[in-house]
Amino acid sequence: MAADSRGTPPSPPSLPPQAVMGLLDYLTATSLDQDYAAAARRRSEQDPAAPSGRPGRVALVVLAVFGLLVATAALRTSHSAAQSASSRSSLIEQVNQHKQQLAQRRSTLRSLQSEVARLQSRDLAATSQGRAVDARLTRLGVLAGSAPTRGPGIQVVVDDAPGATSDKQRVQAPDLQKLVNGLWQSGAEAVSINGQRLTSLSAIRDAAEAITVNYSSLRAPYTISAIGNPKTMGATLLDTPGGQTWATLQSTFGLQFAIDTKDSMLLPAAKRVTLRVARNDPSATTPRGGAQ
Amino acid sequence: MIAALGLLAGVVIGLLLQPSVPPGLDPYLPIAVVAALDAVFGALRAFLDGIFDDKVFVVSFVSNVLIAAMIVYLGDKLGVGGQLSTGVIVVLGIRIFSNVAAIRRHIFHA
Repeated sequence: MAADSRGTPPSPPSLPPQAVMGLLDYLTATSLDQDYAAAARRRSEQDPAAPSGRPGRVALVVLAVFGLLVATAALRTSHSAAQSASSRSSLIEQVNQHKQQLAQRRSTLRSLQSEVARLQSRDLAATSQGRAVDARLTRLGVLAGSAPTRGPGIQVVVDDAPGATSDKQRVQAPDLQKLVNGLWQSGAEAVSINGQRLTSLSAIRDAAEAITVNYSSLRAPYTISAIGNPKTMGATLLDTPGGQTWATLQSTFGLQFAIDTKDSMLLPAAKRVTLRVARNDPSATTPRGGAQ
Repeated sequence: MIAALGLLAGVVIGLLLQPSVPPGLDPYLPIAVVAALDAVFGALRAFLDGIFDDKVFVVSFVSNVLIAAMIVYLGDKLGVGGQLSTGVIVVLGIRIFSNVAAIRRHIFHA
């Protein structure tokens, strides 16, 4: 015994239980408030005959408060759930309403635009000078992308590699940029990607997961239609740096790349070609005034 | 029986009157309920042990509710309200479970 007590470090026996027990053990062991035992001991010391352990009127009140608390919390929870559901449905309603409004305004815009075009062509058709201006407008519109354009050309369809796992196996905006550059280089006169006509204001860029052209997101596969000489453009494209890049992408990463010639394609007009800030310089000699 | 009557009366009053809770106290109501539940199960166990005491019950009930709400309030001010609520619920949950286990032993002698 004496050897034992000398061998172990001396530990004062009065350590509180929370110091020697694990937290969970302590919690389980003292889950009943120790005050109950202490109060019972005190009571039996003062008056051993006193009946103990019966809840009195105070306990009734406290339990009533507890019931009130539970009922209130339950009511609050169900109430706020109903509230969030109703606010959600009202939000959905608003979204649908505004979507409808937007669609309505878009259709109004389209009809107004077509009316403007109709009135413009009617006014211009009235005089010979007007007819000349009209012809020039059409030509410029084809060039600028503000008018729908028809003609022969080639169609390039590109897509991600089948079962692509890495970004390198997906079509990125720079790949499309190189391809479009190659098309211009090989003599394209009008280009559109998935129906988005390229103009001098177009950008091809990555926006999050999608490629954006003319501020609208495109989805793969990407169909690039280019009006030009269908006999030579396909072959010339493969000689340009853009075409060579795509040949490499196809052979190395498995991206899909197919060229097709078309006898007649209709490229839509670009949606936005309005200049808001840029003005022409009147002092510079610019060719103007139609076909003289 | 008097206890069950009190509980029933409280629930009925709450359902009938539907007292409004100040918005500032709203987040502390659930944690207060859990703390109160701990005090109530402790009292039930003490009752079955034959050592129930009104004063101890009242004090433990009020202090449980207040301290639980205060801990969560402090946590909200410090930006760890969610974690502290979890801590409070874990501790109170362990206590509730072990008290219920003791109550079960009393009732079913198992």
